[in-house]
Amino acid sequence: MIGRIRALCRNVFRGERVEQELDEEIRGYVELTAAENMRRGLAPGDAMLAARRDLGGMDQVKERVRDVRTGAAADTLIRDLRYALRALAQHPGFATVAVVTLALGIGANTTIFTVVSGVLLKPLPYREPDRIVTLWERQLSSGIVGTVAPANFYDWRAGSRSFDKMAAIDPYPDFILNGSGEPRRLAGAAVSADFFSLFGVRMAAGRDFLPEEDRPGHNQVVILSYAAWMSEFGGRPDLVGKALRLNDANYTVVGILPGNFWLVSKASDFQSRTRFDIWTPLALASPPPEWQRGTHPLCVYARLKPGIPIARAQADLDRIAANLQTQYPADDKDAGITAVPLGRHVVGDVRTALATLMAAVGMVLLIACANIGNLLLSRAAGRRKEMALRVALGASRGRLARQLLTEGMVLAAVGCLLGSLFALAAVPALTRHLPADLPRAAEIAVDWRALLFTSLISAATGIVFGLVPLWQTRRVSAGDALRQGGRGIAAGQSRLRGALIVGQVAAALVLLVGAGLMAKSFWKLIRVSPGFRTGHILTARLSLPPRYANGYAFGTGKHRLISAFERDLLDRVHGIPGVASAAFTAYLPLGGTDNAWAFNIEGRPVKPPGVYDMTNYRPVSAGYFETIGIPVLHGRGFDASDDEDHALVVAINQSMARMFWGRQNPVGGRLRFSGPEWRTIVGVVGDAHHKGLDAAPTPEMYLPYAQVPNVELRPTIVLRTAVEPASVVSALRKAVAGVDPNVPIDEIASMKELVSGSVGQARFRTAVLAAFALLAVFVAAIGLYGVMSYLVSQRTQEFGIRMAVGASRGDVLRLVLGQAAKLAAIGIALGLAAAALVVRLIASLLFNVAPFDPATLAGVPVLLAAVALLAGYIPARRAARADPMTALRYE
Amino acid sequence: MADPQPELLQGTLDLLILKALALEARHGMGISRRIAQITNGTFEVKAGSLFPALHRMAEAGWLVSSWGESETNRRARFYRLTRAGRKQLQAESERWERISFAMASALRAT
Repeated sequence: MIGRIRALCRNVFRGERVEQELDEEIRGYVELTAAENMRRGLAPGDAMLAARRDLGGMDQVKERVRDVRTGAAADTLIRDLRYALRALAQHPGFATVAVVTLALGIGANTTIFTVVSGVLLKPLPYREPDRIVTLWERQLSSGIVGTVAPANFYDWRAGSRSFDKMAAIDPYPDFILNGSGEPRRLAGAAVSADFFSLFGVRMAAGRDFLPEEDRPGHNQVVILSYAAWMSEFGGRPDLVGKALRLNDANYTVVGILPGNFWLVSKASDFQSRTRFDIWTPLALASPPPEWQRGTHPLCVYARLKPGIPIARAQADLDRIAANLQTQYPADDKDAGITAVPLGRHVVGDVRTALATLMAAVGMVLLIACANIGNLLLSRAAGRRKEMALRVALGASRGRLARQLLTEGMVLAAVGCLLGSLFALAAVPALTRHLPADLPRAAEIAVDWRALLFTSLISAATGIVFGLVPLWQTRRVSAGDALRQGGRGIAAGQSRLRGALIVGQVAAALVLLVGAGLMAKSFWKLIRVSPGFRTGHILTARLSLPPRYANGYAFGTGKHRLISAFERDLLDRVHGIPGVASAAFTAYLPLGGTDNAWAFNIEGRPVKPPGVYDMTNYRPVSAGYFETIGIPVLHGRGFDASDDEDHALVVAINQSMARMFWGRQNPVGGRLRFSGPEWRTIVGVVGDAHHKGLDAAPTPEMYLPYAQVPNVELRPTIVLRTAVEPASVVSALRKAVAGVDPNVPIDEIASMKELVSGSVGQARFRTAVLAAFALLAVFVAAIGLYGVMSYLVSQRTQEFGIRMAVGASRGDVLRLVLGQAAKLAAIGIALGLAAAALVVRLIASLLFNVAPFDPATLAGVPVLLAAVALLAGYIPARRAARADPMTALRYE
Repeated sequence: MADPQPELLQGTLDLLILKALALEARHGMGISRRIAQITNGTFEVKAGSLFPALHRMAEAGWLVSSWGESETNRRARFYRLTRAGRKQLQAESERWERISFAMASALRAT
């Protein structure tokens, strides 16, 4: 044993000396044999020759000695590695292309799969997330699903039998924190007492809400998010139990949420809010007053009882809904209930988009693998002679296999390493650029399983195709290979390479078609006229403390307080140099926030109970239309006289005019809401996109701020500037502080930014798909170039002969290009067929573009054909330029 | 150039080398000649089999080598048996005798 260890040490650490001694020993053997042969009477030269013949090859003997040494495997590996690196360094072009292709394939795949798995596949971060469902009110007549009335929630919770718990969140209430320094707005939510226990959350500090705190008058308690605890209170350990001054009232902190709690939602759930800083009990009255059946602020969650399938829960809910329909026809006649598993609800809208990206990136990986295969095949063909020579010199097949494997592994390892680095860099970069409304985006981190998986696939490709040279030597005798001089590739291999190219071109074409359709959609999307001005508009949101609140009474003193604040602020803002005009609105266009009112039109039959004409309304101040650039088509916009003391007025948009008045002129007509007062229609204004550029505008009406009861406490101020919008921000802050230093201002953005943000998802998927398509085309072009170069180099002599017997350079050029064109044409034809099957699947992601868009389906093949011909042209020109005589002598 | 009888020689070659070195230290060619001599020329051990076996046996601790001068005044590596090598020779010889006796009686049986 000790001898073995000593031998191992000697072999490993004094390898050179051991080698030298081996060399000398065997030389000595040969000389001794030669000397003996001379003694037998042979001439010195003959004696030496006979001795050599007797030895049977110096290197083979040495090799066999090395193989028996202790540590031979490690030694061989090191030598193979060294050889592999040297072999790759001799072909830096090949090595670079192979490694870069692998790295791109692995990196891109891991990155996208990471995003997809983060959003779609990873279980939600709650205890038994499969049992959590979201509940929605459904309009039976239209099928539209929406948020829930508090009184309905109260009845659902009391009447259902399928759920362990049911809880609601009102995502609306914000809190103004009056502490030291600037007032801060904290994003708030009111939740029923069961809310956190439904998700299985345990507080990081303090406790959950108690049932008795979930009652009106007892709810002056708050739970803080971990982030707010850190940022607003520096993580003070003694905060629990302390009182906070919020909205000019005292609240006691009872608990701190854990840092990993995240209310998974989709953008539309909470009016684009994704996080909440502060939570307070919902405190519904028991039972709630009846008006709470006509307002719909709540999102409702429920946890299914163990073993109850969702279908049974749905039947349970249908029964409750039927009861409510008969019990409260005025509000609930048209109302059903829909249960949707939380996971499906959250990612439902983005599933198609992400699946498309996944498919695209998978195709990129296939193309990359095909490219690796092709490159290694080219190289294999070039190494046929080398392999044959080495077999002839006595290398065993296993030895060659080991060395080729090492080469494949080196390629794969370097590719994987670079690919991992790529993914590590790309995932955070991508997460930063993910559309803000992509659900769960904040949870994303590099998925190591994905990295491992793609790396294995790529490594397997490298190894399988790396071993081709060995397979080639299986029936070819050494002599044959050497005589042919490495020419005369097997027909089968050439077919395989052709097939790989065809596949690559086809896959690239499918990707390009998809990307083309997406790009065209996106282009059409951003060219949609939003219906308002986007340049030189600054918007900012204010949060008015509750002392401005007007309750539900209209025309009270407090109501005037808001109007006075707004008028005062607008006066100051108009004085800021560079501000052309300014106005308020409760809800910005593209914001997606809706508030609807039922109305009756004067002179038309009164609707039966439970049937309404409803449209969304937007409270705006005087000068709003002029400021934001919504055209007034008939009548007038609002001016300063449309206040509490003057006649009630309303302006409607074009869609509403068309829907309710047809060709008649609505200006001068009157309508009223639940109250007795009639409002005169004073103007018709242009449609503005509110849900998004891709959603058609819906009927809307505008009311003067001063004439809206229950008005929004978080108005948005809109400024039209003559200068760069960002340059007036500090003056705006100063103006707000001048009117009331307790009013926080946030969500400051230019209208351009808002518009750009609203198309974030579309831009993201278009950009990523386009990047993949270009990558695919690039990689496929490299593949085609590689194959054509190789074919040209194989046929140099043939071209020489052709030219010698009278073919022109043009003939040769055409011959080579024709071959490239043939491969490309087959690929394009197959790709078009595949694209025809695939485009249907992405139809829902397209905007104003048919899946079979003729321009795209015609343009993409032309583009791809051009790239393919270029990739073929370079080697073709090389072939045509060759001097016939050189070509003939070449060998 | 493959060895004509590698399987046969696997166990036999070791024994032959040990036997060849039983009396005195020899260099590679000396061992080869000695084996040819003591087997009446039946086994001619080629370098491709001899040297791997010598190195393997040296690493197993049966042989040690040292550099010396050959009969033609050339530097050569001489191998000799260690104590372990002698034990191995003893054990292998007994084993081989048992096998050859068994084989012989098996072949004589009718």
